[in-house]
Amino acid sequence: MNAAIPFGLPGATAFYLTLYLATFVVHMVFMHYVLAGATYLACGRLMGRARCAACEWQGILLDWLPFATGLAITAGVAPLLFVQMLYGREFATANLLLSHRWMAIMPVLIVCFYLLYLQKSAWISRRPWVWRPLVAVVVCVGFLFIALSWTENHLLMLDHAAWPRLYESGGLRYKSPGLLPRLAVWFFLAFPSLAIELAWQGRLTGVGIDATPQPGTGLSPVRRLALTAGAGLVGCATAGLLYWSTLPAAVRTAVAGPLAGPWLAMLGAALVVQAAVWLIAAIRGRLSSPLLLVATGGWIVGLVAVALVREAIRLNSVDVAASAASLAAALRIGGLPVFLVFAVLNAAAIVWCIRTVRATAR
Amino acid sequence: MVCMPPLEYFPVIDVGPLMKGLVIGGLGIFHVFLAQFAIGGGMLLSYLQWLHMRGTCRLARRFADDYFKMLVLVSFVLGAVTGVAMWFTSIQVSPRTIATMVREFHWVWATEWTFFCLEVVAGYLFYRYGPRLADPARLQLLLLYSAASWMSLFWINGILSWQLTPGAWLESHDVWAGFFNPGFLPSLIFRTISAAAIAALAACVLVNAVGGFNREERHELVAVCARPLVAMLAMPLVGAWYLATMPADSRGWTTGGSVPMTLFLTMAVGSSTLVGLYAVVAILRQRLYVNGATATLLLALAFAATAGGEFVREGVRKPFTIREYLYSNSIARDGIEQLRQRGSATDDPYPLRDAAAYPNAQLVLGAKVFRVQCSVCHTLEGMNAVCDLAATWSIDQRRLNIAQLQRTKPFMPPFAGTPAEVEAVVQLIGWIRAGKPRAWEQTHDASVLEQIGRWLDEAGTGPGDPQLAAAEPSR
Repeated sequence: MNAAIPFGLPGATAFYLTLYLATFVVHMVFMHYVLAGATYLACGRLMGRARCAACEWQGILLDWLPFATGLAITAGVAPLLFVQMLYGREFATANLLLSHRWMAIMPVLIVCFYLLYLQKSAWISRRPWVWRPLVAVVVCVGFLFIALSWTENHLLMLDHAAWPRLYESGGLRYKSPGLLPRLAVWFFLAFPSLAIELAWQGRLTGVGIDATPQPGTGLSPVRRLALTAGAGLVGCATAGLLYWSTLPAAVRTAVAGPLAGPWLAMLGAALVVQAAVWLIAAIRGRLSSPLLLVATGGWIVGLVAVALVREAIRLNSVDVAASAASLAAALRIGGLPVFLVFAVLNAAAIVWCIRTVRATAR
Repeated sequence: MVCMPPLEYFPVIDVGPLMKGLVIGGLGIFHVFLAQFAIGGGMLLSYLQWLHMRGTCRLARRFADDYFKMLVLVSFVLGAVTGVAMWFTSIQVSPRTIATMVREFHWVWATEWTFFCLEVVAGYLFYRYGPRLADPARLQLLLLYSAASWMSLFWINGILSWQLTPGAWLESHDVWAGFFNPGFLPSLIFRTISAAAIAALAACVLVNAVGGFNREERHELVAVCARPLVAMLAMPLVGAWYLATMPADSRGWTTGGSVPMTLFLTMAVGSSTLVGLYAVVAILRQRLYVNGATATLLLALAFAATAGGEFVREGVRKPFTIREYLYSNSIARDGIEQLRQRGSATDDPYPLRDAAAYPNAQLVLGAKVFRVQCSVCHTLEGMNAVCDLAATWSIDQRRLNIAQLQRTKPFMPPFAGTPAEVEAVVQLIGWIRAGKPRAWEQTHDASVLEQIGRWLDEAGTGPGDPQLAAAEPSR
């Protein structure tokens, strides 16, 4: 292929890939909030009661994480559908090879989900303080386990040669040099997302994000966000370079070439824009609306670009030509107009729900 | 149309002595119960809110808020996650079946997803802001939530009922011919009534569990919340309609043809009858009070009814997982002939995990054939073990019964392999029955293989039921 994906792909493949990427980006928005939010909360809880009380963001996270988790799961259903359309054999095989270990993410997710509700319950507020960091750390570790499992599953999908060997060994873990660096990329990438999302939440819910902190309570709200985003961006870039070094040379050449070279450059630019905005905000101690808009633009472009680069790496290991005919046949199966109609109607209904509640609650 | 290969090879999981069907069945029953609770819950809450706005139930609004909290904690967490888990478990048990369902109905599934999104947003907004909202806004949110959750049932019901009664889809492969299949409507109505009943019974439990209501208030709420149970009166009729849409051979399993199927159907009918009778006679007609223990017992009976019904729905598809299209072991109906020539284990890229434990190559082949063709429903020595099922058969009986599997038991698919593969499975069973000795002689008798070949030819490549066998296979 000599064009950047999805442009160089057969029509049906490009169509499903675009749908997959679009829905995956939406999933990432909520998944990043949950993963980074749970980590932020756990770190905050470990710093003690006084610092927790002074941090507005922890209050917001405590309140919204259960809903965000519900949204992340719901938003994850669509990419799960399209990934099976595009890479059904690879996805199913990786699931089966990891078997019980893979399926363990389900009970872990249920436990974490309930613990998120427990964290904001009156019950835990009546218990000694130690319960709160304990629960927050368990939630964080649980989500990290789920992230690790997805990373392992993804890398195993790409390693066809390892399938019979892994099956024969009976092992339920897939070891790869790229595993931890790739996990780190996705983990750290969640923090700039969280910073932007919290900044918007603060603005919409009236939290004084530009407020000056009380003496002895640490950083201002904006500087907390800048630190969170900055740490995430540095971590992501470092882990990204490490992961890049673990990729085979042929894959690196292909991804940096026409296949995803433009997306790689776009990703770099998006990360730089976000870093610049947060640096300015940290120096000034406030985040103006134009700056927040610029950071948000950089964030969205970054998410799209990272999803495209991720796909370019995957397409190097999967024979898309082999599935082109079946995807073309699938596209001829009826139902697309019905989906489009209900997608629009239900999106409108969702907007209507939010507007009604905002208007009435106000 | 892209032609299906006869078989696709995936790594086969091992769940020890359990049957894979039990794993997915157990999870499926649990998920269906939760999902129906969520659907019925939305309808009940809309009704309660409407009663409150009409001024005919002064406690309705307060109870609706309590009920919705439970709905969120149970349905939004367990219901949502078990829904995703169903997908993953389906992949674990039968990746080809779920892949076919995804391919044929991906737009239906995507449409269902848009309703999930609406359901979660409307539901969570009600959970979070409901107590602060004005009555009209509350009712609108609840109606949207109920409509979205019922529509998710609408869409998934079409896909699930298609598996048993694909109808005109077999000829046309048209998505809507498959979706609006013969079983679609009765199944949808039956599930809607079940959802209303489960939600009403859960409300009776909750009325007794939450604080803040005195005995008289609880009695009033039970009387109101139990009203949807009256819909259960229609269950026998709709159930009979659903049975009538089933293929004759599948219906035969539930009416004595298969003891487990008949027992599970009896369990479902019996439990539903008990709940329905108690609800109509005691709660609605005599206006008796239902305490927490009784309500919980009724809810447990409803769970038993759901379990029985779902077991039957899964079981009556045999020997298919997608009727007349894909056998329960994921072998395409029109692929048997090819596998009879080529062998089912010949192209399997996955080695055995315990190949060294078998004394000879024939037993290794037998184990591979068992893995490909039998392991989705059977174990070797655990539940539904082939070694136990064939324990009393003589060696020639084993050869005949396995070669003519669809005649041995009409809910079994035809054997999809070569005579040598039949013999390998026969030897494997013999070796295990003999206590797995270290040495085991391979059989090479050409006349035995010829005889097995004749038996295979006699049985043909179609299903055991003569009417089914006569039907043209669908590509």
